[in-house]
Amino acid sequence: MTARTDAAERADRRRRRVPYLLMAPGLIWLFLFYVLPMFRLVITSLQEGSLERGYTFTGNFDSYASVFTTYLPQLRNSLLFAFGATVIGLLVAYPLAYAIAFHTSRWKTLFLLLIIVPLLVPFLLRTLAWRVILADQGLVVSFLKTIGLLSESGRLLSTGWAVLAGLVYNYLAFITLPIYISLDKIEPALLEAANDLYATPWTAFRKVTLPLSMPGIISGTLLTFIPAAGDYVNVELLGNRNWTMMGNVIQSKFLVIIDYPAAAAISFTLMAIIVTMVIIYVRRVGTEELLT
Amino acid sequence: MTTGPNSAAGETTPAVELVGLTKTFGDIVAVDGLTLDIAENLFFAIIGPSGCGKTTTLRMIGGFEEPTAGTIKLHGRDVTGTKPYQRPVNTVFQSYALFPHLTIFENVAFGLRRQGVDKTDVDRRVGDMLDLVHLAQTAKRKPRQLSGGQRQRVALARALVNHPRLLLLDEPLGALDLKLRKEMQLELKRIQQEVGITFIHVTHDQEEAMTMADAIAVMRNGRIERMGEPVEIYDDPRTRFVAGFLGASNLMDGTVTGTDEVTLTGGHTFHVGPDKLARANGAVHVGVRPEKIHLTPSGADPGHANSMAGVVTDSSFIGVSTHYLVQTETAGELTVVVQNLGATRFAPRDSVTLSWDPEHTFVVAE
Repeated sequence: MTARTDAAERADRRRRRVPYLLMAPGLIWLFLFYVLPMFRLVITSLQEGSLERGYTFTGNFDSYASVFTTYLPQLRNSLLFAFGATVIGLLVAYPLAYAIAFHTSRWKTLFLLLIIVPLLVPFLLRTLAWRVILADQGLVVSFLKTIGLLSESGRLLSTGWAVLAGLVYNYLAFITLPIYISLDKIEPALLEAANDLYATPWTAFRKVTLPLSMPGIISGTLLTFIPAAGDYVNVELLGNRNWTMMGNVIQSKFLVIIDYPAAAAISFTLMAIIVTMVIIYVRRVGTEELLT
Repeated sequence: MTTGPNSAAGETTPAVELVGLTKTFGDIVAVDGLTLDIAENLFFAIIGPSGCGKTTTLRMIGGFEEPTAGTIKLHGRDVTGTKPYQRPVNTVFQSYALFPHLTIFENVAFGLRRQGVDKTDVDRRVGDMLDLVHLAQTAKRKPRQLSGGQRQRVALARALVNHPRLLLLDEPLGALDLKLRKEMQLELKRIQQEVGITFIHVTHDQEEAMTMADAIAVMRNGRIERMGEPVEIYDDPRTRFVAGFLGASNLMDGTVTGTDEVTLTGGHTFHVGPDKLARANGAVHVGVRPEKIHLTPSGADPGHANSMAGVVTDSSFIGVSTHYLVQTETAGELTVVVQNLGATRFAPRDSVTLSWDPEHTFVVAE
């Protein structure tokens, strides 16, 4: 063995340091604004007391129990709406992304812009606009009444459907764009190759396009499901009391009732449930075996 | 041996018959009334500069492009207007187009599975095919884990495993480096002879086409300008374009002055094989390939019927041969390639005599 020179070893050490240096800003940020507050949240959730008397740490798990006793319907609503918005979003976004990626060579940028432009309008304003669209005297309602899908006294605003519509709309860009990106990356020659190898257009879609767009589907559905499960604005503006979601409970506990331990416990539980579901989902759908 | 491309209309049905095949993209005519028969089991190359319509022709045979007019028959059956998956043809794509999400085995098995071949047959045929292209050990890997040359062979295996009667190759070696390309040229030729099917090979590389093909069609502006066996069209290119595209040529302006004579504008007279003058009259270009010219020291016996004097202006040694530029009085500067057999080498400013056989003199129209 020959001895290595000092210079080579120093260069080597420097090279090994580079990835850590690159990650440092992100890691520091995450630690200060994610890990620390998270830790604080867990501590708070185990406290007892009130705003006047102050909170003390007692290691009390009662706040957690309340999630499953008192707030089970809200938890169900959150998951149901998030799931519904994701499924409908996928059904709307996939054909949309597909059309933009494969059938609009000249207008691609315009269509992408149209998808992104609504995001420039504040979330609250966009959702408020849906109150107008779905209003009792609005066009949508009168059209649905004309074709008989809605009874004479029926309405859309302040229903679960309105919440679902709002959620789908608000997260549509986040599901469409990742799918578009994964579809756009597919070389057209791959589909020609599939056709050349006796695959009909439908088989080529199932065996080539769909598997290759799976990464986009996974990130798109996650980007919809996760924020939708924690959303409270859509129910607030478009729904009614019966459809309250976990987000509304957390919001009122933190800002209205000022019960920090309960709010913290609910937040933490909701997060744990979502993380668990995401892990199961990515494991099942994201493995390569399922892509073949 | 089957018949050549020009005389295929006889006993056997050609593998491919194109009649008046035309493709236009807007105002651009990519393929212009192409009529062509390709005999079975032939290694047929279509060459030409980019934009000459060679790839469009191939894509129409494969079914990826609808012809604007004309018909395509494969083994006697009219397939015009049918989809690629309905044609008994497979393609090796320029970019290989391997499915990145599938293993090498599944890539090769793709066509068989679509045809509903049963599982044990799929295993056997894919295994055999991977052996043929020396890739059995990579069956479980993904395309991105393979080198360019290996991917190229997977693309070939994926097409051949379906036992097509016709294989289309679209610049299949374009992405490989020179050494690998030379190896794959021989490999492709070996496989073609082993499986015994018709190959149609599109390339812009004339050397590659001449190495592999039994017959070559040179395309220009959507039409076939010259077609025949490599030796035949190399020795008698007939048009200035083919002479320039297929190898290097020395072309000199002249006029036909007899049944076997052409006189250069500068006054020199050359003998030309009468067969090559049969179609020509008036103003023509006389051509001779650089390697057909012999150089002898000025004053020595030139040894060939056509000769002229010149002065060496440049010489470059490239191993197997030496390339000379020789300035002549009546024909401008000519390129001469001399094999390095240990004979005299010439230096710039040496006076020399250039000479060549009338047999190696060809005549091209404007």
